Amino acid sequence: MTLSRSDASTARPADDVVIELRDTSVEYGMDRGTSKVLNEVDFEVQRDEIVGVIGESGSGKSMFASAMLDAVPEPGVTTGEVIYRPEDGEPVSVTDLSKEELRRFRWEEVSMVFQGAMSSFNPVMDIRTHFVETLSAHDYDVDRGIERARELLSDLYLDPDRMLDSYPHELSGGMKQRVLIALSLVLEPEVLVMDEPTAALDLLMQRSIVSLLEEIKEKHDLTIVFITHDLPLVADLADRLAVLYAFEFAEVGPSEDILENPAHPYTRALLNATPNLSAPLEEMRPIEGESPDPVNIPDGCSYHPRCPLSDEQCVESDPGPYDAGPEHDVHCHHWEQSVEDIDVAFAETDERAFTSAAEKAVDEPLVSLSDVEVTFGSENDGWLDFGEDETVSAVDGVSLDVYENDVLVLVGESGCGKTTLGKTAVGLQRPTGGSIEYRQRDIWEGSGGTSSLADEEIRRALQIVHQDPGSSLNSHQRVRTILEQPLKRWHPELDGNDRRERILGMLEYVGITPPEDYVERYPHQLSGGEQQRIALIRTMLINPDLILADEAVSALDVSLRVGMMDLMIELQDAFDTSFLFISHDLSNARYLAEKTGGRIGVMYLGRLVEVGSAERIIQNPQHPYTKALRWATPELGEEAREDPPIRTIDIPDAQDPPSGCRYHTRCPEAREVCTTESPEFVDVGDETQIQRSACFRALDEHPYWQSDPIADDS
Amino acid sequence: MKRSDDDDRRAGDSIDEFVPARPAESSGGSAGDGAAETVRSDGGTVGSGSPFETTSSTEETRGDRVRRFLDEFVRTPWSILRDDWRALVGFVIVSVYVLMGTVGVYLVETTSPAAGPKLVGAFQSSEFPLGTTSAGKDILSLTVHSTPSIMIMMTSGAVFTVVVGTLFGVVTGYKGGLVDTALSTITDVFINIPGLPLVIVLATLLEEWINNPVTLGVLLAIAAWAGLARAIRSQVLTIRSESFVESARAMDLSTRWILSREIVPHLMPYIVVNMVNAARRVIFAAVALYFLGVLPFSDANWGVMLNNAYNAGALYRPSAYHWLLVPMIAISGIALGLILLAQSLDRVFNPRVRARHQNTGDGERLEPDTEDDAKDMMNV
Repeated sequence: MTLSRSDASTARPADDVVIELRDTSVEYGMDRGTSKVLNEVDFEVQRDEIVGVIGESGSGKSMFASAMLDAVPEPGVTTGEVIYRPEDGEPVSVTDLSKEELRRFRWEEVSMVFQGAMSSFNPVMDIRTHFVETLSAHDYDVDRGIERARELLSDLYLDPDRMLDSYPHELSGGMKQRVLIALSLVLEPEVLVMDEPTAALDLLMQRSIVSLLEEIKEKHDLTIVFITHDLPLVADLADRLAVLYAFEFAEVGPSEDILENPAHPYTRALLNATPNLSAPLEEMRPIEGESPDPVNIPDGCSYHPRCPLSDEQCVESDPGPYDAGPEHDVHCHHWEQSVEDIDVAFAETDERAFTSAAEKAVDEPLVSLSDVEVTFGSENDGWLDFGEDETVSAVDGVSLDVYENDVLVLVGESGCGKTTLGKTAVGLQRPTGGSIEYRQRDIWEGSGGTSSLADEEIRRALQIVHQDPGSSLNSHQRVRTILEQPLKRWHPELDGNDRRERILGMLEYVGITPPEDYVERYPHQLSGGEQQRIALIRTMLINPDLILADEAVSALDVSLRVGMMDLMIELQDAFDTSFLFISHDLSNARYLAEKTGGRIGVMYLGRLVEVGSAERIIQNPQHPYTKALRWATPELGEEAREDPPIRTIDIPDAQDPPSGCRYHTRCPEAREVCTTESPEFVDVGDETQIQRSACFRALDEHPYWQSDPIADDS
Repeated sequence: MKRSDDDDRRAGDSIDEFVPARPAESSGGSAGDGAAETVRSDGGTVGSGSPFETTSSTEETRGDRVRRFLDEFVRTPWSILRDDWRALVGFVIVSVYVLMGTVGVYLVETTSPAAGPKLVGAFQSSEFPLGTTSAGKDILSLTVHSTPSIMIMMTSGAVFTVVVGTLFGVVTGYKGGLVDTALSTITDVFINIPGLPLVIVLATLLEEWINNPVTLGVLLAIAAWAGLARAIRSQVLTIRSESFVESARAMDLSTRWILSREIVPHLMPYIVVNMVNAARRVIFAAVALYFLGVLPFSDANWGVMLNNAYNAGALYRPSAYHWLLVPMIAISGIALGLILLAQSLDRVFNPRVRARHQNTGDGERLEPDTEDDAKDMMNV
């Protein structure tokens, strides 16, 4: 196709290839044409390497994983060659294997770990049975296999006896995922393919599992293919990185090379669009446009419609691999120009120029939470109740003020109560203790039920934007109906034409054009970004005072997140609303809080442990938990991370929270006093910055300093 | 966007007394055009101008609305059903019955005993195409004239089942709490009533009403709605926790709207299939009860025909087979037609299919839901 293809291939040393894909495509026949979800891909996986495959959702990365095992679901058709070369023995063409051979191949030679650990287990079988079934299905010696399983489990910092006798529901998400990794390794495969293995997990757990993978790989001589949308996560784990865009590889090369010197315009744009903790905010910008539809992939280079460098050559011919350095191939005609013209945000550091945030409060808080408690479940009422006390305290005594035009980002692991707290703040969840006031009026005053506020005005003032735009819009209603309804309810004075005008105006305002076309669509005809924008303007149409944005960008593609956050900030400004964001991702939190001069609040097991301006929380965290979160947020271009600043990676059971400071079970700094006394908030801010931390270490004078450290030698 | 850098450290019992101040005149309290005057930040991908001031150039007239209504409820369903053979066959079958019950009764004369010779076989004479009974009645005429009452009975029974069942199911599922407990108890009581004995008892008690096909249809469906209510309740329980319902509640939309427009559309395919099943059950029950002689009868009826044929020994008299077969075919035919129709109506309620049959948008996006399948393959 292009001249340099042969150069690129010969430049590569003849090395030890485990899996080789040649011209591999996966196609689905659809009503409106053939959909190519993997488009003539060439790829080689080297023995004993960790290769990270990065792609946004819908870039074909899961198909790539399935194609390697010839496990493409019906009615997809895999064409081309997939060759597996065992260490000793003849190469095997995976696509030609019989069903029985495939069955053996799939677990014994190449094994796979999927994203949803939750659904990979049979809930009625204990973990031991899962191992035994896997071993006997492949005619392995069960006793020896269980021995190996024990070894694997303890390598993954799990207690083998407890794990093997547990049922899946008794394990946390992180434990399940680790058990799944052990299960996939029990037959001693050569290659482990991991498809988003940590996507459903918390940051701390993700980091911990990723750092375990390195050890596991060394110990068991594995080759790992790690597929993810999260570039920073694999950046320091992988030896090589491969970037997938629109069902093709855009760039393949050694990790450092890709991060420091990316050659493909898409890689460079993707790096710029990934929020992180250190790059200046001005450098972060979204990628314009959207990923192409698999039915009509653009001719030539599939990135050309979004690429600033595209010219006629890009439209006419598919760029073959150009050699951009040792083992670094890039599929772009203009990669040299791209290196020169497109800046990389990560090249420069620490040249920060953001406006200082700490400013005085408007006299009255807009929404004020005082000592809010929310518990779920039923208590043992003692009388003929033989069940155990099953209450879970989701929020335990949180006080918080949100002001006019304020931005507050709540950060924490899943299950820490941040969503419950958020929903309580906007009156969608009735607290079991404490009070919530909206402009000095208790919002639950006068309402008997548990689900509805009595005061209409307060109800209108407090709104919510959900995480998954796919389910927050009713799939049976057109955009017109979805947007008309709140207007009909709150602006009954408008007639049909006025409503329509307002809706069209709003759609245009958020960049959905042509609006006349979009109002007639159903949600499934919109992309994720468009759906989220519709959900956002639906709440904006009734002019609320406080909007809870519950992980409102997590469900979107990496390249769209910055754009969506910018839009929210823009709308906040235009409509004079306050935002309560919820995020599990410190880098998104930083972006939002720093850009608006807002605050970040860190939650742990139902309590707020630290609140402060973005700069302080990111640059100078005081609470050990904030430090751990900071550690867990992967950073590009940072190497050789120190050991995790936590003693154990598993969160304590929320049904039985630890006494004293709730973090003491994991805190590396915990001392005896932490197990009994609960720390109060301490002001650690200064003239310009707000920061309050709930940790004894913030105090100069405290019994803490005389207390003994908790003995824990592990 | 303007910020000041002054800092004010005040003591307070709330954990965060310092917040960024914005221009203080902002107060988002007014429900009207609160955003009439906006200050915009830099950057962003959006257009300019205040959102509430941008006006659209197109005016929508009454004609547009009528057209949209027709498009929504006539053209699109028709366009979907046209492509589906089940819909076409179902439509034809049901239309034949409807025509038989409306126009047919005027075209075919009523018959009386000794209108013709006894037991003429089917397709033997042009005067009696479907033959005659042992009393010399015209079978075609009997069949046609029983259609109206059967259709009315069937419709009333089905509508009753679906309306009551859906109402109970949706309200109990959505409301929860005391309402749920009370209505669910009523539902459970009805589930546990043995249907057939109840109908027999009621039929004797309400003898004057029983000849009215509408009340008869309701009577026959009296125990059927409870099961539907239970099934719908469980589905509503899962839908009510979806984000879009929570959003609707946050926006304080009326409960009626949430139930009828947010939740019920998701259940429509299920409801329609149940409606058709209810209709079938009513016919079968009615025919069975007429056949058993439990229900009093005055005029022609497919069940009564079966009963008469059976009593005349049609089971072992080849010359009377047609007497038995014609009502049986009539009953099976309507059941088949309804099922085909219900199956095809499923597609009418699917927004993806609806969208494809309109000229808006680009149809279906590709979402190969591959992961689960791939997982299955690993678990061989």
